[in-house]
Amino acid sequence: MTVLKLQGVGKRFGGLQAVAPFDMSIEPGRITGLIGPNGAGKTTVVNLITGVYKLSHGRVLFGEQDLTEAPRHVVARAGLARTYQTIRLLPDATVVENVIIGMYRHQNTSLLAEMFGLPSARAQTQRFRADAQALLERFGMTRYANYPAGALSYGDQRRVEMMRALALKPKVLLLDEPVAGINDVEAARLGEIFRGLADEGMAVLLIEHNMRFVTKLCDYVYVLDGGELIAQGTAAEVVSNPIVIEAYLGEAVDA
Amino acid sequence: MIAQQVLNGLVLGGVYALFALGFTLIFGIHRIMNMAHGAVFMAGAFIGLFTVRAGLPIWAALPVAMIGAGLVSILIEVVAFKPLRKLALADAELASIISSIGAGLIVLSLGQYVSKTETLRFPFGTVSAEAIQLLGLRVTMLQLLMLGVALLLVVGLAFYLYRTPQGRQVRAVAGNYRTAQLLGVNPNAIFYQTFFVSGAMAGAAGVMVGLAFNAVQFLMGEPFLLKAFVAIILGGMGSIPGALVGAMVLGLFQTLSAAYLPALLVDAMIFLLLFIILMVRPDGLFVQAVTESPTKRV
Amino acid sequence: MVEILIMLELLAPHLPLLDLICIGTGYALSQAIVFRAGTFSVATSGFAALGAYCAAILVVKQGFHPALAVAMGTLLGLLAGLLLAAPLARLRGVYQAIASLAFVEILVAFILYFEHLTGGPLGFHGIPRLVKPWMLVVIMLLTMGMLYVLGQGAIGRAFEAMRQDPPVAASLGVNPTKYHVISFALSGAIAGLFGGLDALRNFSLTAEQFGFSILIATLSAVVLGGRRTVVGPLVGVTILVLLPEIFRPLAHYRQAVYGLLLVVVMAFLPFGVYDTLRLRMRDRRLAREAAAQGGARP
Repeated sequence: MTVLKLQGVGKRFGGLQAVAPFDMSIEPGRITGLIGPNGAGKTTVVNLITGVYKLSHGRVLFGEQDLTEAPRHVVARAGLARTYQTIRLLPDATVVENVIIGMYRHQNTSLLAEMFGLPSARAQTQRFRADAQALLERFGMTRYANYPAGALSYGDQRRVEMMRALALKPKVLLLDEPVAGINDVEAARLGEIFRGLADEGMAVLLIEHNMRFVTKLCDYVYVLDGGELIAQGTAAEVVSNPIVIEAYLGEAVDA
Repeated sequence: MIAQQVLNGLVLGGVYALFALGFTLIFGIHRIMNMAHGAVFMAGAFIGLFTVRAGLPIWAALPVAMIGAGLVSILIEVVAFKPLRKLALADAELASIISSIGAGLIVLSLGQYVSKTETLRFPFGTVSAEAIQLLGLRVTMLQLLMLGVALLLVVGLAFYLYRTPQGRQVRAVAGNYRTAQLLGVNPNAIFYQTFFVSGAMAGAAGVMVGLAFNAVQFLMGEPFLLKAFVAIILGGMGSIPGALVGAMVLGLFQTLSAAYLPALLVDAMIFLLLFIILMVRPDGLFVQAVTESPTKRV
Repeated sequence: MVEILIMLELLAPHLPLLDLICIGTGYALSQAIVFRAGTFSVATSGFAALGAYCAAILVVKQGFHPALAVAMGTLLGLLAGLLLAAPLARLRGVYQAIASLAFVEILVAFILYFEHLTGGPLGFHGIPRLVKPWMLVVIMLLTMGMLYVLGQGAIGRAFEAMRQDPPVAASLGVNPTKYHVISFALSGAIAGLFGGLDALRNFSLTAEQFGFSILIATLSAVVLGGRRTVVGPLVGVTILVLLPEIFRPLAHYRQAVYGLLLVVVMAFLPFGVYDTLRLRMRDRRLAREAAAQGGARP
């Protein structure tokens, strides 16, 4: 059971302690939530995990692997996928191409084979294409396969981003505000997908504002405020915690 | 002897400064590399020359050349850069560089046509051939003129940028077009101003160089553009004081190298200097270079 | 620029345009590959110089078989690419361009300086003309083919991701350093190859032919024709080579026409003639398909 563990992880930017050292455990088969008001440090934590920021304190452990010093691409190859708050698809590439690039870490052909288009390389590209098409069907996006990703609507782009993250076949999926700017119906649909993924054994970390969404989906929740961990527990526990309510200043009921 | 070479180096540096400041002004404010800058430089030299031939003294011809070069610069802005502003940044950068090369070529061919591909010279006596003794060095009138003009224009530029409301607007806009619009600044006005000032300075440099070598020809801008890169990188891309210092250092470096090294190696030395600076301190000698970011991993 | 046009003028009666198109396309492909990986280097002409002089020296002074000499030139280009990749990887955008420009200028200066090896300013002469036009066509087509295949596979995908969004590419597992080095190695090898071929069809070599002018010409060709496809560079080079021929009556204004072409193409076809047209056709096809499905636009 590979668990993503943050041990005493913290970050300071010069004189500012953006995230005070704290522990977090993201386990497979569960949807773990990381919530907090704006500026609490949630995205900083994601950046610390994924290799964007250098840790000022602590370690990031993924099973046996120590990812504390690992650059982004090594973190990704270990099996962590992330989505972004603002959608970051490759604008010039088609939807299919965007999904295929997500499969990158599964490439096992040699450089020479790729350079000269040897059969092994071509076969792999074919397989990736087929897998990508399967994902597109699963998400109902087949007819957009050859559209430039930048031409799609916001909701559709979010789905492409999700497909790309899934193409990586990650062990841990980090979702940075995946339902921001999406209507409740779409959000619920995405929520079902997340639930399904967790049930299949993926470890899901959900960073969100939307309390309703979080309480419905998350098995375990960590609450950050002003860079500090102020509470943790099941969704029910956290929602009724007076410290948490105070942090949100009355926003606890609805986001 | 070495002091004389230092003087020569400073004079050369002064001219490089005018050229480099114009270039770095555009880059610092608009993040654009104006590859037509050399052509503007040449245009200034030509305009200065023809004005002198028409009978005006050098101190009147110089402003005329500057204004003319400024206008040419604005024209280049309108033709080469304006149409590309609507593109996303990464593509626009390369496309604008090519577009400005094209615009520069058009101006160059005009110069070629007007000069019939010959090297033109300023009329004899445009600048007095006298020299004075200053601190044991022989300083010619021309050198005094060049230093004086360079000093005047650099001070003028600093005044414009730091003391006038227009200059403040220009600095505030630096690169952020949309914010400027929201603040009520007319971005087009900023473009015209900066390109005019940039062109005027290049034009002045052109006249100075034309006088110094007594040669005005349509290809005179090309070697300057390359050397300007060195000055600008040395001082920090987009930094006004940096460009000034970089130009001075370059002028000295080039003059001293030429005095003590075989001619064929001088250029190699200059570009080697450029390469080393880029490796060690890409942000220039005067900007605090953050080579190892405290935030990013690898 | 002018030097290249003058060169074309002098050579035109002696060499078929096909030669120029093939070699030019080779250089343009070498340039395009670094752009595809998101690097802003213009070192191609430097790699070509290495390949050319290597092949020429080996054939003339060491009696090597031409194929082996060209292979050695390719290898030298490859090595130079590998060596240059590391220092340039730490620089971003414009700084990479300037550093690579410095590299080219340093190389040209050294070629001029080491006369006993390269013939210096007088050039390297007496190279037997061992390369036939058909060989150039075949090699060019093979290179285009290889790059096409490469583009369709994992390397091409990694390059695209790196070009469009480097942080996202990294977060998908693409090692930026690895692909950066690959793009430089490829660029160096291709330029070295075509440089070697260039040397063996030309009777003589001069350092200037690999300097600033060809750098700009290659850059223009890539931007003019299209830098994201394999055909784009060919289209760009063809336009630039045929231009002086088509505009023979306007011979005096050749430069201005060239400049005007650059400006106009950048304004209307900013991705290059071939690439822009291809994009437009694709958009039209998608629109037709969407309409045929009676569908709402996404």
